[in-house]
Amino acid sequence: MMDQSSGPGTGFDAYKWPPLRGDYVVCDPEGRVAVVTLASHLCPRGAAIYGPCKTENLGVEKVVANIISNSNIRFLLICGQESKGHLPGDALAALHRNGIDQAGKIIGSKGAIPFIENISAEAISRFQGQVEVVDRAGLEDLAEIDRIVLELSLGKEPYPQPPFMVAKRRQRREAVFVMGGDVVLGSGVVLDSGAWMVAEERAQAAKEGV
Amino acid sequence: MSLFRFSLDQKVINIAGTKIGGQPGEFPTVLCGTIFYQGHKIVEDHDRGFFDEALAGKLVSNQAELSEQTGCPAVLHLYARTMAAFERYLDFADRSWEGPLILDSADPVVRAGMAGLISEVGLADRAIYNSISIGTTEQEAVALEESELDSAIVLAYNPSDSSVDGCMKLLQTGGSVMDKGLTDLCMDLGIVNMLLDPGVMPLGSGAGSALRFSVVAKAKLGWPAGSGIHNAVSAWPWLKGRSTLEKRCCDAAAAAMQQLAGGDFLLYGPIDDADIIFPVAAMADVMIAEAVKDLDIWPVAGHPINRLV
Repeated sequence: MMDQSSGPGTGFDAYKWPPLRGDYVVCDPEGRVAVVTLASHLCPRGAAIYGPCKTENLGVEKVVANIISNSNIRFLLICGQESKGHLPGDALAALHRNGIDQAGKIIGSKGAIPFIENISAEAISRFQGQVEVVDRAGLEDLAEIDRIVLELSLGKEPYPQPPFMVAKRRQRREAVFVMGGDVVLGSGVVLDSGAWMVAEERAQAAKEGV
Repeated sequence: MSLFRFSLDQKVINIAGTKIGGQPGEFPTVLCGTIFYQGHKIVEDHDRGFFDEALAGKLVSNQAELSEQTGCPAVLHLYARTMAAFERYLDFADRSWEGPLILDSADPVVRAGMAGLISEVGLADRAIYNSISIGTTEQEAVALEESELDSAIVLAYNPSDSSVDGCMKLLQTGGSVMDKGLTDLCMDLGIVNMLLDPGVMPLGSGAGSALRFSVVAKAKLGWPAGSGIHNAVSAWPWLKGRSTLEKRCCDAAAAAMQQLAGGDFLLYGPIDDADIIFPVAAMADVMIAEAVKDLDIWPVAGHPINRLV
């Protein structure tokens, strides 16, 4: 993935936000609070966006990417029941607090596989700077969640930077060389499973000077 | 694409009499249905393990009957949230099912407990631990080493490089995230029967690479490979608004795609779906067996091709 900050003055297009699809509900793109309900199915009121997050890697990445692409969001409320074993709430809070190490592991996270692969250090830094995390993991009382959202909504101005877009980058493929077939398809045709290349045995033998 | 044979000898593992692996078309696909999963309607209390035993019994016997009819072996995939629940589920499974069992929980503490209990009650030779992965904790490793378990699903998901190459590196060398490969770790823990699973991503996040993984993993390592390809379907937001029929069609199609990509086993999801999975899997097995007939691969006696056509 490639991170692209929109240039100064670039407007926020509420119709195109959030950029990544997922299991969430958009309520008010101008709102200040994003709510992650972890493994619980809750419908809080007054949030910019809310939805579950069940995994400590891809799920966390999507939450971060969708938040930093909207400068209006200044708070991330984590609530609901943790997804056992995965602990995405813990991973989100740890990512915000500590960032990642060189291998991409979220420092201090207790989840099963808390790794970030698809968003850059710059995107994580933006996430840390843009939002304040309110960690209320375990909270399922909807009235209390609504109260917190309302209270936070009155708190801050939009983040003074343009949206930070996390876009997929096509990786340039290296030239593929067929070294030899390890999967036999029959009729003199082989497949090199490493290169995922189908070749004719005779043509390959000729190339190798056999 | 499973119209081929691997030049590397393919390992065939035997768990409680069920054989898994081999060349495409040689052994029927092993079908693993999950019971007591999160949200399973027959479970009344996931923490204490209270469930409707009559309904559970029907599901297990239905899967067994479909297995008998089609020739595709079945595995009962037990999911438990807590050890208290697992004890009840295991007691039920031991009374109602004689084949292989998969032991699964999202909680590593529970998984470690499962490894101990299954050894204590003398059922370790029927059990497959789900799973050994980069997320395997020290507590789990110790429990596995001390247990009598010797079979496990090896989850090759590599969070620092989720490509097929990244999964293979994790298995073989540990890549950049482990000191040693997962296959070596398994050997250290006494796991001699490995079932390789790439960990299926949601559709749009790389689900399709699971199909290529099974071919590459079998070509390079020879261990049985498969996946929970249905996860790609169940995590597809677009499909959530569609009809049950459409969802079931997609589940069945995904299963056949994994088979066609050399899959030896399918974690096909809820055991409630056995009615749609077994026929489609048996049909795919027949097609594949017919496709590789000219490659000198001969299906075993109980294969669907010898029962259904």
